Amino acid sequence: MKYSKNEVLVSVEQVNLSYDKQILRDVNFQIHNIVRPGLSQGQVISLIGRSGIGKTQLFKILAGLIEPNSGSVRIGLDQHPVVAGEVGIVAQNYILFNHRTVHENLRLAMKHSSITIDDKQKDQLIVEYAQKFDLAEHLKKYPLQLSGGQRQRASIIQQVLTGNKFILLDEPFSGLDALMIDRVMELLIQISTLDELNTLVIVSHDVENSLAISDTAFILAREKDKPGATITETLDLIEMGMAWNPHIREDANFQHLVAQIKHKI
Amino acid sequence: MNIVKKVFHPLTQIKGRTSIALIAVEAAAALLLWEIFGSNGLIPTPSKIIASVFRIITTESFIDNLFSSLSLTMTGMGISILIALVVSYLALIPFFAPVAKFVVKCRYLTLTGLIFLFTLLTQDGHQLKLSLLIFGIVPFFVTSLLSIIESINSQEYELCKTLRMNNWQTMLEVVIIGRLDQVFEVMRQNFAIAWMMITMVEGLSMSEGGLGTLLIKSNKYIDLATVFAILVIIFALGIFFDYLLRNIRLWLFPYTKIQVRK
Repeated sequence: MKYSKNEVLVSVEQVNLSYDKQILRDVNFQIHNIVRPGLSQGQVISLIGRSGIGKTQLFKILAGLIEPNSGSVRIGLDQHPVVAGEVGIVAQNYILFNHRTVHENLRLAMKHSSITIDDKQKDQLIVEYAQKFDLAEHLKKYPLQLSGGQRQRASIIQQVLTGNKFILLDEPFSGLDALMIDRVMELLIQISTLDELNTLVIVSHDVENSLAISDTAFILAREKDKPGATITETLDLIEMGMAWNPHIREDANFQHLVAQIKHKI
Repeated sequence: MNIVKKVFHPLTQIKGRTSIALIAVEAAAALLLWEIFGSNGLIPTPSKIIASVFRIITTESFIDNLFSSLSLTMTGMGISILIALVVSYLALIPFFAPVAKFVVKCRYLTLTGLIFLFTLLTQDGHQLKLSLLIFGIVPFFVTSLLSIIESINSQEYELCKTLRMNNWQTMLEVVIIGRLDQVFEVMRQNFAIAWMMITMVEGLSMSEGGLGTLLIKSNKYIDLATVFAILVIIFALGIFFDYLLRNIRLWLFPYTKIQVRK
């Protein structure tokens, strides 16, 4: 499996966050552009940690929605500090504007997007995405008329249509049945391979599904006798031969790794 | 038999025809009991009230009085909602927030104590009635509107940020456009306050007539059949406008029909 890790796309350096107590401590990690010859290979990264560890706070820091007490988050090939709006977020409860139809929600995403095309082309693009992700017949519906899975897909497409290359997903497998989880995984792989620089960051406590879809995973946990959560382990799943394999969950080594990580977090 | 059991069982949902039938039966029973046992009392019976209703609505002056009350309510409501919207939206700008807070607290100011001040400030009876009506409604409107704004999920603002909207665009999308249906609902609920207040303010200047004037005059002569008849008319009109505004809201904002996911 030929690949190379090229430029740094996201770098998180010495991020600290505390309110009345320390939440995050010295969080450091980098996401590289993974290049595979003949393929448009995006990046899928997991940030795995147990509930209440500070994942959502880190999620908001990565999105530029909150400022850490110290440290920085830089994104893009030019490694500029992240600004809210440059990183898409798909919240756990798939927030959409309930007063707008799915089509209007998607159209709104393109209003301020970096994609510069005319209105007709925008509508065409929406229809294309809707067809690709089984939403074509739901474009005229309001978000409250959609199922959880449909809302999630609409929410993800909305973020893709903003032209953002970086998309954060908060617990994308939460509350879904096994069949839906497989469909979400397919969808995320599709999104990540739409563009070479597309980078999906999954923030989750679901170790098995997060590892199964990722090429790199960061474990967010607390170290003994130290306050706040930090990155305690980085898993290069490509090096380990566990990335880009749709049947990886059946692999004994993978199951062993999942058990180990569950024990660690 | 099963339905009879159901209506006496706690936490049972009654819908559609059963619900309407239940209301009709209970209302008919109450009116019947009132008719039978109220015939010798001071309060007029339903049959006398209904006869008075027909007598009032067939008089020439009724339409004028009705129009006077409705136009005053509509004008008052229109101006109040405009003022309340401006105050509520401005409350999102820190500089104006204290103004909104003060307006909310004005709910506790009694109108009666301010009549003299308003008489000095206004030029005629119509202006006095209108200004008192507006002063009476606006604090309640602002309170309801601010509570809508406060209950907005912060994730909606975050979504706007990820869609690259600035703060003004976010305010337009989430607070103004996104909550128009709820503003309409507040308007519907507060229409009741305006409609209730109309009889009070009309009593301050009776030259323009109105249902409130009719009510006060009938009260003065203890013409209870007419008093109750006017109350029935005011009540029926209130219910009608409530129904009308509810349906206009559903028509204007079809997404409000969709049941909110739990």
